[in-house]
Amino acid sequence: MVLKSIKLAWVLMWCFFISATAYAQEEGAATARQVVEKFQAELIDVMKNGKQLGYAGRYDKLKDPISNSHDLTKIARIVVGKEWEKLSEAQQQELVDVFSRLSIASYAHNFKDYSGESFVFDSEEETTRGGVVVHSHLVIPGEKDVKFDYMLKEKGDSWRIINIIANGVSDLALKRSEYTAILQREGFDALIAKINEKIDNYSKQ
Amino acid sequence: MNKPNGNRNGKIKQTLSGMLIGVAVTLSGCASTGGVEQQVEVSPVDPYEGFNRKMYAFNDTVDDYVAKPISDAYKFITPQFVQTGVFNFFNNLKNINVALNDVLQAKFQQSAQDSGRFLINTTVGLAGLFDVAKQFGLEQNEEDFEQTLAVWGVPQGSYLVLPFLGPSTARGIPGSIFDTAANPVTYVGAPVQLVAMLNARANAEGALKFIDEAALDPYVFTRESFLQWRKSLALDGKIDPSDDLFEMDEDLLLEESENEASNQEAAISGDMAAEQDEAGNTTNPRAFNLTLSADTKEFEQVSDSFSSTAQSFDSTARSFEEASNKIDRLTIK
Repeated sequence: MVLKSIKLAWVLMWCFFISATAYAQEEGAATARQVVEKFQAELIDVMKNGKQLGYAGRYDKLKDPISNSHDLTKIARIVVGKEWEKLSEAQQQELVDVFSRLSIASYAHNFKDYSGESFVFDSEEETTRGGVVVHSHLVIPGEKDVKFDYMLKEKGDSWRIINIIANGVSDLALKRSEYTAILQREGFDALIAKINEKIDNYSKQ
Repeated sequence: MNKPNGNRNGKIKQTLSGMLIGVAVTLSGCASTGGVEQQVEVSPVDPYEGFNRKMYAFNDTVDDYVAKPISDAYKFITPQFVQTGVFNFFNNLKNINVALNDVLQAKFQQSAQDSGRFLINTTVGLAGLFDVAKQFGLEQNEEDFEQTLAVWGVPQGSYLVLPFLGPSTARGIPGSIFDTAANPVTYVGAPVQLVAMLNARANAEGALKFIDEAALDPYVFTRESFLQWRKSLALDGKIDPSDDLFEMDEDLLLEESENEASNQEAAISGDMAAEQDEAGNTTNPRAFNLTLSADTKEFEQVSDSFSSTAQSFDSTARSFEEASNKIDRLTIK
């Protein structure tokens, strides 16, 4: 009898403990994997309603999910590399603004409709410098899978996407080469003009 | 999203080689008269950027006025199932080379699979017109001789844009020669080769459209995505997180040291101190810098890339010093 009540007490304690930790996790920051999966779910959702929403609708619907899951300020800063230091504060702010709009616009343009695609989580690994890489792939019916690897860094108490590597091609490295080349060859105003032109083109189609 | 494999004109192979030399000579003549850009950092992988950009522009023009119109006409008049059949047919022939390179890379199991793929599609798939092997779960693998050379440890060499053929590297040239030799299409008549080219261009349409839409500087975009794509193929899709993160962290460190967030800084400079040990043990960056700058006098053509390397060694050395100073201060506290 005594034994039984001790057992019961244990079970109750465990239940309490488990629910407490689960609650704490819910309260606290999402893990890197959760951030990626939430974003992917939101993206698929927009794709499913892509046609009805139209470009403008997709842009509005994706704006918050992208801004909340990506560290767009840091990404904009990294893609211009050492050139960042040479920009005035106003220019830096302008770059972050325009770059954020480009990121949302390219999602709204490229993920416009749905034909049974789904994201599948593969694995997660920590990098030596405190980042996390989430490996996943996009299943497109009738086509080869596309690998999506997300690199995340902690910002405050939440994880944010810093880079996406699609089929081995790093978005960050690609943009960095392009942006630094344009800044060096043609200057800041030309870069902003080119980004704005891309955003315009995305919105037209 | 389309995979931006950046294979601009890349698959249009087996072109008239006589013309190539003529064009190459004419264009390199033009290249020397081109304007000199100032203060542009030379990318270490692309020392011949001036020439490559000219060649890229040339290929682009050829594509706009010749390849694209023909490819568009082909896509317009040919029903989708015929296009798919044509794609499957040429793709199947490629598998001989894939299986061969599997062996050369010691991937024997994959070689057996790829040979099986070829045999099934050639027989059941009616000479390769239907990709039946896919239904059996045999996915198409991407292997070629350039990847084999990479596996064997041959360095990639400089990025090169070849007339008509598109992006390549120094290692890619022997790669293409081997692949061409190992493809049966090479040994049949010109009409079949023409259809092969048409098929390749038609299938590149998606990637080319993606570049047009996304690229701010199409030349750089094509170069970077091509090199990254080739690298990822050679590594069989494994990504190398240290590669990318290092660049990022360089920036993050700069930023964080500006912010003077002392707690974070302690952790980070601890990291850097660990690296300092490694570097200190192997080479003294300053000594390396000296030998490099001596080299620059001898090799004037590559002096730009060498001196920028020397500079980055220098700045690394400086950041190490700063880091150790910070640690000193912290330990005193």
